[in-house]
Amino acid sequence: MTAVHHHAGESGTQPVDVHDPHLTRFEIVKEGLRRDDIEIITYESQFHGPNSKAEKRVVRNIAFLFVLSGIASLAFLVFYIAWPWEFELGHTMSDYYTPILGITLGIALLSLGFAILAWAKKLLPHELSIQQRHGGPSPEDEQLITGQTMLYVADELGVQRRPLLKGAIALGMAPLGLAAAAPLVGGLIEDPHKGEHPMMFTTGFHPSNNDGKPVRLTREDGSPIRPEDVSAGGQMTVFPGIPHGATNQHADSPTLLIHLRADDAAKTRENADADPRNKGSMWGNYVAYSKICTHAGCPASLYEQQTNRLLCPCHQSQFLITDNAQPVFGPATRRLPMLPLTVDEEGFFVAASDYRDTVGPDFWERP
Amino acid sequence: MTSDTPARRRARVFFSRRRSAPSRARRRLGAAVRMLAALFLAGGVYTVFTPGAFADDDIQLSAAAREGKALFDTSCITCHGRDGQGVDDRGPSLIGVGSASVEFQVSTGRMPMTRQEAQAEQKAPHFNEEQTKQLAQYIQEIGGGPQIPEGELVEDLKTNPDAIARGGELFRVNCTSCHGFGGGGGALSSGKFAPGLHDATAEQIYAAMLTGPQNMPVFGDNQLTPEQKRQIITYIQEQLQQEKDPGGIFNLGRYGPSTEGMAIFLVGITILVFTALWIAGKS
Amino acid sequence: MKRRKLDLAEAPVTFAKGVDARFTASTPLRGLLNKVFPDHWSFLLGEIALFSFIVLLLSGVFLTLFFDPSMKEVQYDGEYLALKGTWMSAAYESSLNLSFEVRGGLFMRQMHHWAALLFMASIIVHMARIFFTGAFRKPRETNWVIGIVLFLLGFFAGFTGYSLPDDGLSGTGLRIASAIMLTLPVIGTWLSAAIFGGEFPGELIIGRFYIAHVLLIPGGLLALISVHLGLVFAQKHTQWPGPLRTNQNVVGERMFPRYAMKQGGFFMAVFGVIALMAGMFQINPIWLFGPYRAAEVSSASQPDFYVMFMDGLVRLMPNWQIYIPFGDGYSIPPMFWPAVVGLGALFTLPMAYPWLEARKLKDKRIHHLLERPRDNPERVGIGMMAFTFFFIATLSGGNDVIADKFHISLNAMTWAGRIGLLILPPLAYYISVRICLGLQQHDRQVLAHGVETGIIKRLPNGQFIEVHQPLGPVDEHGHPVPLEYAGWVVPKKMNRIGALAPAVKGFFFPVEKPAEAPVSPAVGAPAKREEISSGR
Repeated sequence: MTAVHHHAGESGTQPVDVHDPHLTRFEIVKEGLRRDDIEIITYESQFHGPNSKAEKRVVRNIAFLFVLSGIASLAFLVFYIAWPWEFELGHTMSDYYTPILGITLGIALLSLGFAILAWAKKLLPHELSIQQRHGGPSPEDEQLITGQTMLYVADELGVQRRPLLKGAIALGMAPLGLAAAAPLVGGLIEDPHKGEHPMMFTTGFHPSNNDGKPVRLTREDGSPIRPEDVSAGGQMTVFPGIPHGATNQHADSPTLLIHLRADDAAKTRENADADPRNKGSMWGNYVAYSKICTHAGCPASLYEQQTNRLLCPCHQSQFLITDNAQPVFGPATRRLPMLPLTVDEEGFFVAASDYRDTVGPDFWERP
Repeated sequence: MTSDTPARRRARVFFSRRRSAPSRARRRLGAAVRMLAALFLAGGVYTVFTPGAFADDDIQLSAAAREGKALFDTSCITCHGRDGQGVDDRGPSLIGVGSASVEFQVSTGRMPMTRQEAQAEQKAPHFNEEQTKQLAQYIQEIGGGPQIPEGELVEDLKTNPDAIARGGELFRVNCTSCHGFGGGGGALSSGKFAPGLHDATAEQIYAAMLTGPQNMPVFGDNQLTPEQKRQIITYIQEQLQQEKDPGGIFNLGRYGPSTEGMAIFLVGITILVFTALWIAGKS
Repeated sequence: MKRRKLDLAEAPVTFAKGVDARFTASTPLRGLLNKVFPDHWSFLLGEIALFSFIVLLLSGVFLTLFFDPSMKEVQYDGEYLALKGTWMSAAYESSLNLSFEVRGGLFMRQMHHWAALLFMASIIVHMARIFFTGAFRKPRETNWVIGIVLFLLGFFAGFTGYSLPDDGLSGTGLRIASAIMLTLPVIGTWLSAAIFGGEFPGELIIGRFYIAHVLLIPGGLLALISVHLGLVFAQKHTQWPGPLRTNQNVVGERMFPRYAMKQGGFFMAVFGVIALMAGMFQINPIWLFGPYRAAEVSSASQPDFYVMFMDGLVRLMPNWQIYIPFGDGYSIPPMFWPAVVGLGALFTLPMAYPWLEARKLKDKRIHHLLERPRDNPERVGIGMMAFTFFFIATLSGGNDVIADKFHISLNAMTWAGRIGLLILPPLAYYISVRICLGLQQHDRQVLAHGVETGIIKRLPNGQFIEVHQPLGPVDEHGHPVPLEYAGWVVPKKMNRIGALAPAVKGFFFPVEKPAEAPVSPAVGAPAKREEISSGR
């Protein structure tokens, strides 16, 4: 690396009189550069002589790109207006509307871009300029002056000398700040624990949603379910049979009703009855678990009927159905809550009570 | 069938899984042929079976079923045992699985299995259509069980335009969790997987819902009525198996954001970095 | 010139003088026109982010004209047959209408989404360039911090945008976001209830995310991008070391016309690539996902790629829950660590890095010259470690897709990710440090002994040696005088010093060649090439 110190002001170029009528325009530009501490080291045409063959070729190519851009833009407009764009199911012309728009606009923009780039890169003279940096700290006396000025501002206010004002400011401004923040915080805050049946801890299966009567299990269309509706080895997503039970108003309520094969059911019952919370929650060979993963709340609904596992597709937690839906793999810590099942006098499935465990992802104060 | 060995399919199967969807005309033709065959068979079965022909120890087999038994005794008996009674740790009993199950497993090439692994692989079918029917007939006759109904399994959207939207709703409630929004399939635990639906025929989808092959849950007719099953098949065939999405020539496999993320680096960033190289390169 | 008679030729001058009289613009304007920018391909990576941000603003404004941020339940009755009659939120309905019933609406939606991905991808690539070349060092630490905040803002802009259509995938993302809020000790349930206006999902979240997505976050992005660029402008761009280049100057080309044209052309290229991708590649087919229902989910549910690292960390986290046996009993769910602590650390640690490195190296100098990655192996090692970590976490965010498409066990993928996350980053550190040291050593070797010529010479005593072409002067014995390393490319092949034609012509011509490569005595002249054989 050369250690020559190029400084425009010192290195040969002298100030010129810009009013001198003999100066070329480039010389005036160079005077400007000198004043901006810039020195042009190299500035030469990329071509041998004016109107060289190579230059003409490059100009032709660039012109072609500009024209191509225009043609593609026109094509974009024509297709935009004339192509049948209304969506229809199946293989139709409208399927190609978006691709055609993309390709024509893409070609238009890319050829315009490359035309400009080629102009800059191929036609303009090679240039190497050096500009001096003027960064770094300000001169020491400048720092001093500014610092003293700022301190003097403080002096002028005289807060130090007037302690009463200091206290008054604190007492006066802090409440104002709080007042400004209050509507935001106060408006947003919702008590998650309020009410007799706080939202975090109950689901749509709580009898309070059904005038105190047990809530039926229903399909997404609200129709109740008989035991024979689910085949052995089958599962069904069920919802509380209350108004809007299958909508997102009861996002914690979706439940997976599973009809186990006899031997699996026996194993499941044995494990469930050994657990105080799940004791007696099964009905026949049927078991119902919350569909809401205890990890992050996705529906853990990938039911493997032979291995009796439930897999959550979001973070791959796996729950063993035959063992109280204990997590056997992945990031979930807590088992899926079991919904106590029974059948009402009309032969439809009902929830004997709400879930005995809190449904959904874990949180700090979960009981 | 539930051992934990990772599943490995041959590369050819992998690449051909989504491209080889038969054209609609071919599918229609195939469906028509199969329907004729089914009608013929059903007629045959009806004439052969008279009430009381079921005697547990001495089953009268129809001609087709006898052919099927011959095939069974050469290709299936090792694992599924004599008369489909099953062999411990090798193959389950086939009593009661029904012809639907056989048609699904055999027509998708899953049976006969080449080896025991996490899950039977889809491959080129070992038996032709007629042989499959014969096997199915045999299993149906020895044990009974669910059957694929006769008639068209896809709703006609001209007369019943709502079918596709209803099918879509049912598909999202019951099927997407494993097979994915785009029907591309998905991973299950320990090397098991839900297959893609892109080249599944209507019969195969119907049979799969009815019988719950492998780890798929059973969707009996009480849960999803035959009409609802047809609606789901309509949605799969008319929407998901149309490879073309309106928003592009390439649908990136409908695998969701992971392939989109790859595309932005492999296509977007790559093109622009090369452009930058060219811009700053010395000419 | 008569009064009242307009001299057209003089009009621009008159106008310009009028402007200058009011704004004193001449001198600053000339300074702007003349400002010198260094030229290197890697300096253009940040521009990709800037230009995609402009595309995002333009296409986003279009989308707002049609989007309805409401969660009111409506029954769809549009062109898309497969959803006809389905109940859905007005937000989802308007997104479908935007896709199917607005002429070119789908194209604009796809442009917006691809531009968002490109924005985030180019930020990552740009950040890697800044890091590995040491461009974050004093005086540019502030801009480094702003850059990381920009990534964070982009992350939230992306996530809120991904949530707006209220389709099945975005609802699943929201559900996880709410679960992440719930993991916060003490305030978790309160925070989630405040943001969702009650229990998840409530009826407010789309409207709230909408205002964040179209006003608050873009406002912040716009402000910070302006400061970011302003600082680049005020502090002047860094440059690679090389001939004529010092810590006190900038060597390059003036802003106008050449540099500005390159920028303009590159903007058009970025815009064009986004348009092409928006047309060719289907992105986020929301009509397949259906409206969000709490009971519905899809396999391969993933966030966009720049959120995937977080999802991957959440997937890999073992199920370690902390129970606090106090009062009714409290707990900290395992997701708290990767999603809250992890995310916080992943953003704050890089922010502190410039000061940590300066402190370790006791380096208080001002740096305007970049450092080649090999010249600071430690930094490259740390960077590679961080990127390996990020990469594995991102891959794990899609591990179910990988497991399915490559037929690997899902459980094995999770374990591979867990082990890989612990083992591979240190390994990446070690390997990249060794590579850097090796490259350094090779540079020094060539400077000391010259370039290998490939010519083998037999000495009178029968020994074979390879002739080296010295890069600098030789002493009286013909041995090269060792040259000092100048922080820049050392020519290592004969064609790089002009003794042979370039190996590859045209586009792949080595772009890193400095304008004035160190001239060796052997360049060009065939007569002097004999020196090679008389080397030793």
